[in-house]
Amino acid sequence: MAADDGTAVRLTGLRKAFGATEAVAGVDLEVRDGEFFAMLGPSGSGKTTVLRIIAGFEEPTAGTVELAGREVTRLAPFERDVNTVFQDYALFPHMTVEQNIAYGLKIRKVPKAERRERAHAALSSVRLDGYERRRPAQLSGGQRQRVALARALVNRPRVLLLDEPLGALDLKLREEMQVELKQLQRSVGITFVFVTHDQQEALTMSDRIAVFNHGRIEQVGTPAEIYERPATPFVAGFVGTSNLTNGFSVRPEKIRILAEGSPAESEHDEAAGTVAEVVYLGESTRFIVDLDSGGRLTALRQNLDADATEVAAYRGRRVLLRWHRRHNFAVVQST
Amino acid sequence: MRSALKSLVAIGVLALATACSSTPAKTAPDGSFTPPKLTAQQSLGAGEGQVNLIAWAGYVENGSDDPKVDWVTPFQKQTGCQVNVKVAGTSDEMVNLMKSGQYDAVSASGDASLRLIASGDAAPVNTDLVPSYQDIFPSLKLQKWNSVNGVAYGIPHGYGANLLMYRTDKVSPAPTSWGAVFQPDSPYKSHITAYDSPIYIADAALYLAKTKPELGITNPYALDQRQFDAAVALLKQQRANVGEYWSDYLKEVSAFKSGDSVLGTTWQVIANTAQGEQIPVKAVLPDEGATGWSDTWMLYSKAAHPNCAYKWMDWITSAKTNAQVAEYFGEAPANQKACDNTSDKNFCAEYHAGDAAYYQKIAFWTTPIPQCVDGRRNVKCVPYADWVQAWTAIKG
Amino acid sequence: MTTDSAGRRLAGALHRRPRLRLGLLLAAPLTWLLVAYLGSLAVLFLSAFWTTDPFTSDVVRSWTTDNFRTLLSAPVYRTVALRSLGVAAAVTVIDAVVALPIACYTALVAKPSRRPLLVVALLTPLWASYLVKAYAWRIILANGGPLDWALGPLGLHSPGYGLTAVILVLAYLWLPYMILPIHAGLEQLPANLLDASADLGARTWRTVRSVVLPMVLPSVAAGSVFTFSLSLGDYLAVQIVGGRSQLIGNLIYANVTLNLPLAAALGTVPVVAILLYLLAVRRSGALRSL
Repeated sequence: MAADDGTAVRLTGLRKAFGATEAVAGVDLEVRDGEFFAMLGPSGSGKTTVLRIIAGFEEPTAGTVELAGREVTRLAPFERDVNTVFQDYALFPHMTVEQNIAYGLKIRKVPKAERRERAHAALSSVRLDGYERRRPAQLSGGQRQRVALARALVNRPRVLLLDEPLGALDLKLREEMQVELKQLQRSVGITFVFVTHDQQEALTMSDRIAVFNHGRIEQVGTPAEIYERPATPFVAGFVGTSNLTNGFSVRPEKIRILAEGSPAESEHDEAAGTVAEVVYLGESTRFIVDLDSGGRLTALRQNLDADATEVAAYRGRRVLLRWHRRHNFAVVQST
Repeated sequence: MRSALKSLVAIGVLALATACSSTPAKTAPDGSFTPPKLTAQQSLGAGEGQVNLIAWAGYVENGSDDPKVDWVTPFQKQTGCQVNVKVAGTSDEMVNLMKSGQYDAVSASGDASLRLIASGDAAPVNTDLVPSYQDIFPSLKLQKWNSVNGVAYGIPHGYGANLLMYRTDKVSPAPTSWGAVFQPDSPYKSHITAYDSPIYIADAALYLAKTKPELGITNPYALDQRQFDAAVALLKQQRANVGEYWSDYLKEVSAFKSGDSVLGTTWQVIANTAQGEQIPVKAVLPDEGATGWSDTWMLYSKAAHPNCAYKWMDWITSAKTNAQVAEYFGEAPANQKACDNTSDKNFCAEYHAGDAAYYQKIAFWTTPIPQCVDGRRNVKCVPYADWVQAWTAIKG
Repeated sequence: MTTDSAGRRLAGALHRRPRLRLGLLLAAPLTWLLVAYLGSLAVLFLSAFWTTDPFTSDVVRSWTTDNFRTLLSAPVYRTVALRSLGVAAAVTVIDAVVALPIACYTALVAKPSRRPLLVVALLTPLWASYLVKAYAWRIILANGGPLDWALGPLGLHSPGYGLTAVILVLAYLWLPYMILPIHAGLEQLPANLLDASADLGARTWRTVRSVVLPMVLPSVAAGSVFTFSLSLGDYLAVQIVGGRSQLIGNLIYANVTLNLPLAAALGTVPVVAILLYLLAVRRSGALRSL
């Protein structure tokens, strides 16, 4: 058994097959103590299965799970120092908010007075003071989400697992909760392992991201590394919009749109073409340009002072696309 | 029909049906009554193609119980009347089934017949339309259980006694008295069986008539309150030893087969069936005598198939058929010429057919009414409605 | 196409009149409910106040409360009513205790692909005739029958015919009616709740006690409405395996023949008992899962 070396979660050679399909096809991963770690991937990429294996709801077909240096691969969920926030919150409908939050403490025979106190504090930390007596059915989606968070955090686990915790919320609430969750994680100092299919969410909140595809990890890195230097075409495509031409790639927002014949600049690459499509996004506009050399590039431009009619006039226009060479990144074809 | 609500609905519908039925007869203070004015059919028309009967088990056999026992098929062939039968286990069941209005004729015992006549459910029968009637023992014609004021309300079928049956391998010594089922400290506790009908109170009264003469019981269907209470008390005491009560004859056969019952009241036909299944049983007529039945085929006053019903009444009481039924069921035939048609030539002698003296020993089922049927005028007797309530209380 | 346009007009008219639409939809079933169902209950209650001619057993429609007075005054009716309630309660408890683990298995433990098959298997006894099953039990319970034979090595005997046998047979007969609602309730139980409970530190038994049972309780109550009312209305099992005992159903059955008003009065006893039971169950919220 390895010693506690500041690694919160260590997965080694993890595999999980459901019948003939292999949901997890060999995953090695280390999550450090205190990290806000995201597992990002499309649905069916195996990220949720990995989370469920860490929680103990599934047993891996092969490989090991260590939590803080202790091997827990075959242990039941109740024998692991982790807690989970479920996608649909999984609040007990027959219990009040307070009973839900105090459930874990009650099982661990925490005295009643302390239970109450901690439940109140946890509720307060998610800004739901005064909701103790409510039933889950009487709460909004955002409120339930916070109760689920409080119910998990009140046990002060070593690792908190979150399975698409914001997936069911509307956009505005989701953006609020992203900030709140991040603040909460900083204040409690608990390791968060977070599953999401939303690249924006992963980029916003995480210290590091693991990108999953077909049961494997394609890349692990900081949001900047993942975004600026995607290791595989899949990562490049899944995280942000990718422009893939002749072995290199460049992010749309790095590309400037100039009139044909603009004077050349050093250290820059350029390509001429015709605007095929214009997509007005409100704050910005996406231009899809068919290059004369073949292929296609997407460029993103902030609508600094252009309006919708103006940008629409670009369709069919000849343009020159130009970007600084340092934004080029090579992508290795994944096997 | 097993959910409570469903059975209640059924009861409700039944209530609606009976509520719309005819007004009952007036009972005179002397016990005689005037039945509703009904006239017998004057002539016989063509058969209606079918006839619906209510009968005791063993009376209407079409070969399905025993291929050799079949007197329905020849009747159907001869008359074109398809026979549908409903087997009833008690007289009360028969009375109720008749009130449903779906049947044409019934093999009523004496404790059902008068009730059917008084309620107007049974019609007078034109005996001229039933050729077999000529051959019926005169002692059975126009008796108080099958006629009113000299008007026949049916054709006599046969008569017999309720017997005491026991497992020969389990009951020893062989019982000769009804005391075997009434003694309080019976060695056959929980294995005694009794007939499940209020009329069974008469069996207790009959036993008391012989064993407790101080009660002065002369007719087990004419019990004053004191005599009735004594009979009820005897039955309550008997209940402690009873394994189960029976009214379905197949149930009694199965209980004797398994040995859950080893001793109790029975009919000859049940004893025959049991012996046919190799169950070691014997049925005897105990020393005290017995209660019994004298059955009459009666016609429903609003029968849908009266002509077929007449044909059936003639067929079942005709010499040959009556002999078959009597031998199969184990009773004395009503048709005197039946005695020439039995396969066992001693049959009529064995069953004392036509022997009026012998049948003095049998107390035929009669409906108890307030006017004591034994002729006493200084007391009121307990009517059948109270027997029914008492029977409920006896079973507890 | 004139007919087509007439049809369209009618459809349009109906579309604009939702109340008329609802009325047309419910007219037939409501008539059935009112006439056949509530109507017969009303007649039942009404006829309980009539009496019979003591000789012919014909119903005499004269107003009297004698039947109810008899029910209240004769001790035998109270005894039988209490016995019937006791049997119904015992059957319900036995069925709940037996059905819970079975339903837990069929709804939660068994492979999802096998679950429909298991449910069908549990329902197979319902395909057989009531009488066949009851008579089968008569044979099983008989003196020297299969149960005696099976219990013999343990030094035990078949309970024989009697109340114990009645409870046993009724519990057997109505078991599917208890399993089904519990199975349905457990199936609707989100699997995540069980995971969440384990995640919060609860061992299996604790999860069953704190999460599964409280959540499935309404289903148990729903099932108990079936087992309780079916048991209270039964009279056949008693006749077949009850030995010398009788329940309220037997009294009703015995009196339907001869004293219909008394039978009707007796019939109100289970109706009242079941209504009270339903009221009690309603408070538990179980009627929502019926």
